[in-house]
Amino acid sequence: MKFRPVYVWILALCLTCLSCATTQIQDIKPGEKPALESDEAGLWMMMDEIETNLKTSGRIEHDPDLNAYVNQILCKLQPDYCNDIRYVIVQTPHFNASMAPNGFMQVWTGLMLRSQNEAQLAYVLGHEMGHYQRRHSLKQWRTIRDTSSALIFLQIVAAGAGVGYAGSIAQLVAMAGIFAYSRDMEREADDIGFGLLADAGYDFHEAANIWQALIEERDAADQPDQFILFASHPTTSERVNTLRKMADQLASQGRYGESYQREYLDATRPFRAKWLKNELRKRDFAASQVVLKHLVNTADNPGELHFYQGELYRMRAQPGDAEKAIASYQKALSFEQYPPAVLRSLGLLFWKARKFEDAQDSFKNYLVVDPDAPDYEMIKSYLEELQ
Amino acid sequence: MNTASTRTHVFSILARLFHPPFKLTVLFICLICIGCATTSYKANPPPPNLPQNARVLLMPLDVQLFELTAGGLQEPKADWTAAAENHVHKALESVLAQKKDTVVPYEPPQDNPEKARINEQLMKLHEAVGQSIMIHTYYPGYNLPTKKDQFDWSLGGGIQRINERYDAHCALFIFIRDSYASPGRKAAMVLGALAGINISGGLQTGFASLVDLQTGNILWFGRLFRPTGDLRTPEPAYEAVSQLLFGIPL
Repeated sequence: MKFRPVYVWILALCLTCLSCATTQIQDIKPGEKPALESDEAGLWMMMDEIETNLKTSGRIEHDPDLNAYVNQILCKLQPDYCNDIRYVIVQTPHFNASMAPNGFMQVWTGLMLRSQNEAQLAYVLGHEMGHYQRRHSLKQWRTIRDTSSALIFLQIVAAGAGVGYAGSIAQLVAMAGIFAYSRDMEREADDIGFGLLADAGYDFHEAANIWQALIEERDAADQPDQFILFASHPTTSERVNTLRKMADQLASQGRYGESYQREYLDATRPFRAKWLKNELRKRDFAASQVVLKHLVNTADNPGELHFYQGELYRMRAQPGDAEKAIASYQKALSFEQYPPAVLRSLGLLFWKARKFEDAQDSFKNYLVVDPDAPDYEMIKSYLEELQ
Repeated sequence: MNTASTRTHVFSILARLFHPPFKLTVLFICLICIGCATTSYKANPPPPNLPQNARVLLMPLDVQLFELTAGGLQEPKADWTAAAENHVHKALESVLAQKKDTVVPYEPPQDNPEKARINEQLMKLHEAVGQSIMIHTYYPGYNLPTKKDQFDWSLGGGIQRINERYDAHCALFIFIRDSYASPGRKAAMVLGALAGINISGGLQTGFASLVDLQTGNILWFGRLFRPTGDLRTPEPAYEAVSQLLFGIPL
């Protein structure tokens, strides 16, 4: 048989059709559990194991107040599914949340640091609940399983006909199909998240705003490739436009909602220092600067925020950064409350700049302000050295 | 915001798609052959000095069954797994009943979340060490220069904390993953054979380890690695458990 590339395209087309032809999957009902012999029960079994493992991980934020706060957002969004969803807050400085087929959700602290108000976090949680409700994991699994199964026969035929490369082309076509399908599901989850947000009385304009901030961050980033989210999700500008249109439409009908910024800042303030510290450890200072800028604009606990602005400059250590860092630290000290570590960082930079007296003053003040500092003895030895 | 499982599957399929399956199969068969050529259990020298009538803490079984799809993905099967857990449990009971030792089942400390968390971590540690033993002692190419011929793997003395309520001498851990070719996979295997491509079927793999609850040393380690066997029905499950525990110093 003479092989023509057109056969590959015909077969690839068949594969695409195959993934569309999977039977209609109904939304999951509140309290529903899959039958033990189903493929869905298998996925739940695997995720139950991952859930057990993750819940005992050292990276989980267990604070009861913060967890109760996230839980009330979930229950406000979807009271019917509130008991079916379990979640953990994972300490990791990247923007993401995920939903497993069994209703187990991960909320990353990088997302919580970037959300500027409760409505933004609620929108992302609503999006994840959309994945659960629509059984997206199951749909995705069946698509991949059926596509790869069809592919193997194609590969056998291609290899049998002596044109192994045809199998490889079909693989790429099939992969593109799977990713496109994944993006469609993201759009669907966006729609659901938006609807839940508006119905729960949140300010629905915030759905587009969180993506807008993420675009700003990506455009500034030193390592934009690290934004893994953009591979499987619709291009974010498309998303922003769609969500803005939806919001304008609702607003024109006279609907409105609350962003609950004050509540959000109150709930997250005790954790912000830890999250900012982890954020700076990524050493993608241009991206972190965007995150910090939004936080500084809230003027919430400004002593702490200006301290971390100073830390960013100090860690980046480009020409001129030392001066900027000192200015930020001094700004932090002008507020009633500031982290004692401001004085230590300031001392270190003065020392480096050979301003020995200023360095001594800062270190002495540090020891006065924080007599229980874990590095008390170390700073004392610096003072001895400076004399 | 991606679904966690989706991401895993996409990566596994990527890995699969960009390697021609027949190469994998050849490697796989080589591994099986190497596996058959070595003894199936390892012991920590000197031979463990367990008392007659030792108390053995039986840890929760970690068993999962999968169906191998035509395309080579492992589809988790909850119903098969539930049946297998039951069969393996019964088989373990009857195999261990032939020994003189006392078997104490592990029960998660539900009244104490912190203790439960520590025990979970110790079980995770055991799984990580067990997987390392599977790779680094059974395949000559992956042997560790620091281990050479000595089998001195250990979980460390921290394991004592799991024993606080049991007063046991040693703990027995069981880990099994078993897969079976789906009808579609079987068809692909036949067609592949006709086209001259070797497509692999299901695999029964797992390990059992006997851990000294004082030192954390792995006293004895047995493994399963074969393309045959079936845990979904009682008799073959009994056979698999006997095979897995062959040579256990109890």
